[in-house]
Amino acid sequence: MISLTNVTKRYAAITALDDVSLEVSRGELYGLLGPNGAGKTTLMSLLVGHKHPDAGTITIGGVPMTSRNLDLRGEIGYVPQQIALYDELNAQENLSIFGSYYSLSGSLLRARIDEALEAVQLGDRRKDKVKAYSGGMKRRLNLAAALLHHPKVLLCDEPTVGVDPQSRNAIFDFLESLNAAGMTVVYTTHYMEEVERLCSRIGIIDHGRMIAEGTLNELLRLLPYEETISMRRNDATEANRSAFERFGVIREVNDAFELRPGKNVKMSDVIAAVEDWGIEYADIEWRKPTLEAVFLYKTGRSMRD
Amino acid sequence: MKKILILLRAHLTVFAADRVAVLLTFVIPVIMISLFGAIFGGSGRSQSSGIPLAFLNLSDAPVSRSIEGILDTLRTFRLIRTMKDENGKQVVFDTSSIQEFVKSGDAPAALVIPADAYTDTSIGFKICFYYDPRNEIEMQIVQGMLQKTIMEQIPQVFMESLNRRAKKALGPELSTAFNADIRKSVRQYFPGTTFDADTVRDGTGGMKPGDTSALAGADSSSVANGMGKMFREIVDFRSTQLVGAEIANPNATRSVGGWAMMFLLFTLSGVANALIDERRNAVFMRMLAAPFSRAHILASRYVFGTVLGTIQLVVMFIMGMLLFNVDILSNAGNLLLVIILSAAAATGFGMLIAAFSRTMAQASALGMLLILAMSAVGGAWFPTSIMPPYIQVLSKFSLVYWSISGFLSVLWAGATFVEILPILGVLTGIAAVVIGVSLWKFSRTNIL
Repeated sequence: MISLTNVTKRYAAITALDDVSLEVSRGELYGLLGPNGAGKTTLMSLLVGHKHPDAGTITIGGVPMTSRNLDLRGEIGYVPQQIALYDELNAQENLSIFGSYYSLSGSLLRARIDEALEAVQLGDRRKDKVKAYSGGMKRRLNLAAALLHHPKVLLCDEPTVGVDPQSRNAIFDFLESLNAAGMTVVYTTHYMEEVERLCSRIGIIDHGRMIAEGTLNELLRLLPYEETISMRRNDATEANRSAFERFGVIREVNDAFELRPGKNVKMSDVIAAVEDWGIEYADIEWRKPTLEAVFLYKTGRSMRD
Repeated sequence: MKKILILLRAHLTVFAADRVAVLLTFVIPVIMISLFGAIFGGSGRSQSSGIPLAFLNLSDAPVSRSIEGILDTLRTFRLIRTMKDENGKQVVFDTSSIQEFVKSGDAPAALVIPADAYTDTSIGFKICFYYDPRNEIEMQIVQGMLQKTIMEQIPQVFMESLNRRAKKALGPELSTAFNADIRKSVRQYFPGTTFDADTVRDGTGGMKPGDTSALAGADSSSVANGMGKMFREIVDFRSTQLVGAEIANPNATRSVGGWAMMFLLFTLSGVANALIDERRNAVFMRMLAAPFSRAHILASRYVFGTVLGTIQLVVMFIMGMLLFNVDILSNAGNLLLVIILSAAAATGFGMLIAAFSRTMAQASALGMLLILAMSAVGGAWFPTSIMPPYIQVLSKFSLVYWSISGFLSVLWAGATFVEILPILGVLTGIAAVVIGVSLWKFSRTNIL
């Protein structure tokens, strides 16, 4: 559905996107994960046609995205990172304006507004001015405004920034229902838990380069370990610290030892050793690896550095 | 105090961050002061090229030639003695064509010294003045300077006339004896008084044009007033208003266009701010994500500004009609054309401001500069004819100049469509150029 081939975008001396390629299939919910300044918004700007690549090609539904191809934009819903609403107008008036951008009018426009407001749970606040809304409500309306024309592709650029957990969950539920109904969604964020929950495939971007791409499991398998075992520092764990090193890499993290067992280590061997050495289970925490660990492994930096 | 200083530092930091706005804040007053200095010749290097005054002297009397000579030397006026005929050939005015010249707006006034302005049998002086007071300040300057010039010649005219009549009545010998007796009596009662032989002989008592020293001892202003009154009675100054005589409220009719244009520019500066605000709050982003090109978005803004400006001007003129009796109905069609094109051109300036500004502060400063400069140079506040020649050239590039010309032509002179066609053409040209430049700038700017 969406295809980027060797796309490069520069701003003067800064290369915002460097030879990026990706494919998003029809009906997929694709997550683009990366820290601030990684190039996510630039990539979205190219997809929506705000900007044009210095090199490479972009197609949506097989049709090249160019500034002249205005019909293609009618197939896309775009949720910008900023709140793109008229503060002095109410929700209904805002949606009426944005719906008219896509030639919706009359009863069809009214029906679509009703549908969108109900979907983002703002039906009872439709007559309130947007300036009276909470941040979360504005975010939800921002999303609703992109859906009035029933786009085939929805591009969400960090749509949950500054949103309370309740509104965030409402947005997630709504996006999942849209995707279940067949809409292709591209979702950018720097919150790994968001893409972990929402996305069937994930691309990790940093400094304008796509550093990893795949399903969550595929990405986690890039790590040289599968789990992390954290042990609280006490007499028992201190005494056996060096003995743990035969299972993998061990390092000190604050008041704990952190063991990352090697790929060929059997977890049953680790559990047996723990029991033999008299370490309490309560002092042990087993953690599954995360995308944060993948990012750290691939870049040597934390996502929030 | 420390807390105020902390906040003050924050304000200064934010203010200094927008360097263009900072620059404009200080540059605008300098530009405006320079502009006003140039307009009023304050720099000492520039002089007005003079108010055009159509002039025809049909009298061969010495005093007529004297007045003409003085008018020629005055920087206040630029005497025009010829006009182009239908074939484009320069021809000298006659009493009819000189009036047509004024009616057509080529000069605000005409002065005709008729053949019988001054004769041996008359005691006074006759002069014909034709005028079009569409610009009040200009007309006050013209009339004031003309009165001063003519009145200064009157003592000579009056004394010459009296002397000639005395000679005619008494005969040369008795006249000479009469003057000698006067001289003798004056010397008797005012010892030490000296007489210029020539002036005594010519009977003027030593009074020269513009000279009131012969009445020394009296209060100078009362002497001037008294003489002025006396001389006004003997000067036959025949004034004829050629244009606008039927206008119910000349002052309002004259000024409504200039003020309307200034307010229009302020409004459209607001339109520019709205465009920048839209860009800032990302609605512009949503528009560009929809099936619109940049051209669509800018064109819609442009049409919106033009319609808004047109409505604003129409409302202002209607208020002028209702409150000040300005007649907008008798030439409503042409007035509407000037209004629409003025609004279109002014919107172009609004778009230009938006195109060259990155922040609201920059747009406000740039808007202020353009509005004040165009209003001052364009003649919204002062007549352009009193400005130095290069400012007058500059004023021709000002939207305000052409809009005011259009409004005055329609409201004051009742000009026809054909007569205002050149003005409409210039307004269209200004709109086209300004919009072209703003579109070019938008096309080269990352507007997101």
